[in-house]
Amino acid sequence: MRHVFAIAGRELKALFASPVAYAVLTLFTVLAGFFFLTGVLQFQEYIMRMQSFQLSEQLAELNLNDHVIAPFLHVMSVVLLFLIPGVTMGLFAAEKANGTQELLLTSPITIWELVIGKFLAVAAFVALLVLLLALYPGLLFWYGNPELGKTLTGLGGLLLVGLAYAAIGAFASSVTASQLIAFFFAFVLLLVLWMLGFLADLGAAGGGAAGSDVVGDVLRYLSSAEHFESIVMGLVDTKDLAYFAAIVAGFLILAKACVESVRWR
Amino acid sequence: MIEARGLSKRYGELVAVDGVSFAIAPGEVVGFLGPNGAGKTTTMRILTGFLPATDGTAAIAGHDIFEDPIAARRAVGYLPETPPLYPEMSVEGYLDYVARIKDVPRRERAAAVDRALARCGLADVRRRVIAALSKGYRQRVGLAQAIVHDPPVLILDEPTVGLDPIQIREIRSLIAELASERKGDRARTVILSTHILPEVEAICRRVLIIHRGRIVVDRPLEELKRGGASLEEIFTRATSREPGAEQAEAAPAKPAGSSGAKPAGSSDPEKRP
Repeated sequence: MRHVFAIAGRELKALFASPVAYAVLTLFTVLAGFFFLTGVLQFQEYIMRMQSFQLSEQLAELNLNDHVIAPFLHVMSVVLLFLIPGVTMGLFAAEKANGTQELLLTSPITIWELVIGKFLAVAAFVALLVLLLALYPGLLFWYGNPELGKTLTGLGGLLLVGLAYAAIGAFASSVTASQLIAFFFAFVLLLVLWMLGFLADLGAAGGGAAGSDVVGDVLRYLSSAEHFESIVMGLVDTKDLAYFAAIVAGFLILAKACVESVRWR
Repeated sequence: MIEARGLSKRYGELVAVDGVSFAIAPGEVVGFLGPNGAGKTTTMRILTGFLPATDGTAAIAGHDIFEDPIAARRAVGYLPETPPLYPEMSVEGYLDYVARIKDVPRRERAAAVDRALARCGLADVRRRVIAALSKGYRQRVGLAQAIVHDPPVLILDEPTVGLDPIQIREIRSLIAELASERKGDRARTVILSTHILPEVEAICRRVLIIHRGRIVVDRPLEELKRGGASLEEIFTRATSREPGAEQAEAAPAKPAGSSGAKPAGSSDPEKRP
């Protein structure tokens, strides 16, 4: 266990010694600010329009959680799709390029300790991103009264998405010695995972037979966006939690196998 | 201290190491010679646990490298051909990290880092970032990394490659010092691979020559030189004929034409891993 923390600590320090961490933090907060602002302005305009049309029923249904925070978290989950590969690309690829892999694999540590240490470092960074992001909906508590529980659940959902992305990024970094390839591989994997839901919707819109409906359900179940959606809506289902846990575990197992594979050749 | 029994490594059709066996006693300093591609690095990687052997096994300080890999790795300090450095770390930060993953107990860690820094002449640059160090200093950091957990066995893969003559002399004398350092009641065991023959004569007491994956010479340096031939001649002869004729060195050597310490001009110091 102490090895895990040694590895995670070094990885975090390396992240903050490089420009990557700062670039990601800057981009993330700037984009968050932009999307948050447009979300709030849109909400305001919506309210004004409804007031002018005297649509009191619809007006009563409007709330900050469903109409500002949920879309905001959703768009930020897409931003993470681009940014997390940047954080994870160096995890294993840099060790191979530096020759430090030889130090790690000849040290009295296990490959699991190595993989989990690296994952923990990225997990801590993702947690930092989510904490920073919490400031924006936090502002709404000052000016309005969104539901605290639902807001926290949504942020938790974003953290889960971030962790799943981190595990996928770790795997992508373990297959190559090039950080650039690791970045694009992770990005493609994440994009596909995210788009599976759309694929299913496309199939449904095309009016598929009963058989393709099963395919649609499977695709939808595999899509990260679908599970995130229901958590953001405030529905914490063990099904969704199990999905994210399975993604993290599955890709970390793959990463471990890839790191170990130098020994198979 | 190090015992290899029939180590073999095959990559598909290619046989990199072919039934290598040797035993190295505690305190011995052994030069591991061979032309490029002879299997030196592969053998060292097997001993350090980086690669598994296809066949055979080895024990380090009594720990089998396959049955008890963690204990075996703990007993080894390893300097690979390219020193495994993190360019963004400071020298002391790096050594502290290595000490942690090499299981140096927390209380002894600061002292272990200080000792390694002092031993390798790095005290002045301890706070410098590794990326800013010269090649010679980086090599020293690589050596410091190998000794920070005070291992009984040191395995050094071409430790002087790519250095200038002054740096080579410094690193060589450093290795000689590290080799003579006592660990508990006995001296350190060192295997050093190189193809710079004077290096072997300067540091080592025993010579292992590997050629096409097989050990073709395994003798004390004294004994080899008693034949009158220079190490270069012995090396050239051993590596220019088919393996399998290993016993032939016992035959009296031809009259030596050159002095004993002539460098092997043909060796390529820029060998890539």
